[in-house]
Amino acid sequence: MLLTIQTDDARPIYQQVADGIKELIARGELTEGTPLPPVRQLAADLGVNLNTIAVAYRELQKDGLIVVKHGSGSVVAPRAPTIRTQGELRTPLRTALTQFVLAGWTKDKILDLVTKELEIVGRGSK
Amino acid sequence: MTASQLQHYAVLVYVLFWVSRIRGVVRRGKQPYLRGPNWFFNVPVPAGFYEGPGRQILRGYWLRMAIPCVLDIPAIAMLLTGHTSWLPWVIVALVPIIHGNHMYNVNIAERQAWQFAKPEEAQATVTSTVGLSLTPRRLKDYTNWPLEWVMALATVAAGFVLVHIYRAAPEEHSIRAVFWVPAFLLYLQLGALLVKRVIVTWRAPVPMAQTAEHMATRDAMRKYYLLMCDWNRMVITAGIVFRPVLLSASKAESELLIKIWLGVWLALSVAGTVWIEIRRKQLAEMGVKARPVRMPDLSGQAGMTKWPVCYQPELPMLVLQGDRGYSLNLAHTIAYLGAVYLIGMALLLMLARVGH
Repeated sequence: MLLTIQTDDARPIYQQVADGIKELIARGELTEGTPLPPVRQLAADLGVNLNTIAVAYRELQKDGLIVVKHGSGSVVAPRAPTIRTQGELRTPLRTALTQFVLAGWTKDKILDLVTKELEIVGRGSK
Repeated sequence: MTASQLQHYAVLVYVLFWVSRIRGVVRRGKQPYLRGPNWFFNVPVPAGFYEGPGRQILRGYWLRMAIPCVLDIPAIAMLLTGHTSWLPWVIVALVPIIHGNHMYNVNIAERQAWQFAKPEEAQATVTSTVGLSLTPRRLKDYTNWPLEWVMALATVAAGFVLVHIYRAAPEEHSIRAVFWVPAFLLYLQLGALLVKRVIVTWRAPVPMAQTAEHMATRDAMRKYYLLMCDWNRMVITAGIVFRPVLLSASKAESELLIKIWLGVWLALSVAGTVWIEIRRKQLAEMGVKARPVRMPDLSGQAGMTKWPVCYQPELPMLVLQGDRGYSLNLAHTIAYLGAVYLIGMALLLMLARVGH
């Protein structure tokens, strides 16, 4: 299973790592209890500072997506209903939709894309 | 077996080592154009490169291949003066030097060739997308547990027998005569485990083009080197087990046993060398299928490799690679362990001489 990092992506690397793992969990490719590589391994493979990966793992831990077990590494946490409010979740969606509208996309085209993405992302949802 | 016979044996091993090196020299000599005439190692070069600037770069590469031969000068002196018992130490020193020299040599040659690379092709080798495996890579994931158990039990059993031999007749054998060789072998075993750890943790990013081919090549290479380590560890364990067998045999029996041991060791070394050459050829063919790519430098390693060693505690890589070659990161745990290991080895060798 591969995590993809793009150097020309506007997001910082730690965000790409966190988002990539979140996506794999959402798709069901990383299931509950799956061990994740140690911070040191990912940082060395990517050739980045240890902190970059540590920050990404901390974000995943804060979101309740991974559990850090001292001595045995990190594993994917059991899927629990999100505790985020609708307002919190709506803000990034609105930002993304605004970008599409400003880029001149029609409503149908945006809906079509959102449906397709939802199909991909929602594969792993129970 | 007499000291003279052992010296003859050391000469034979050195000669065989030289024969096996010839094959390595031929293989490394051909390595620059393994991908075809439009490539110099992993550098895409224009037509006629080998007749033009490539000729000098190639010559320089071939000449640098001979650097480890400097160590053959003391070896020849040993042969001429009859101090052949030191020859195995020359072999022990030559093996890492040959590999290290090759690594640096390829890096220097590639850096020289990049100046003449085809611009459009050179641009195509740069990737902006890096794939990272999410499968944990730990030493235990690459451990053959039944083999480890056999080696551990054999070592412990040999240890018990050695203690028994020493306690049964302490006046016959000194502590050093009984325990030094197994202790030294055990220490070598520890070193092989350290090397295994380096191989397992070696960084392995893959590009998103031809990902399967790149991953298969990396994994095959890793498994090959780990297998080499395990083979050496098995030989070391056999040496530990052989020690009590040798000590409990009569003088006549022990001479025969040493001859059998050396004969088997020699036969296995020859067979192993042949297998290594076949496997290396297969791995080279496998590697050629994946188009070379240059990974992006996300931590600015290029500026940190001014010297052969550096101190970068925030970076988890043992070796940094930049515009000026390789640099060993002294802040890495393995660098510390390696230094401690070498100090321990020096102490152990000094112990062998104490009270000799």
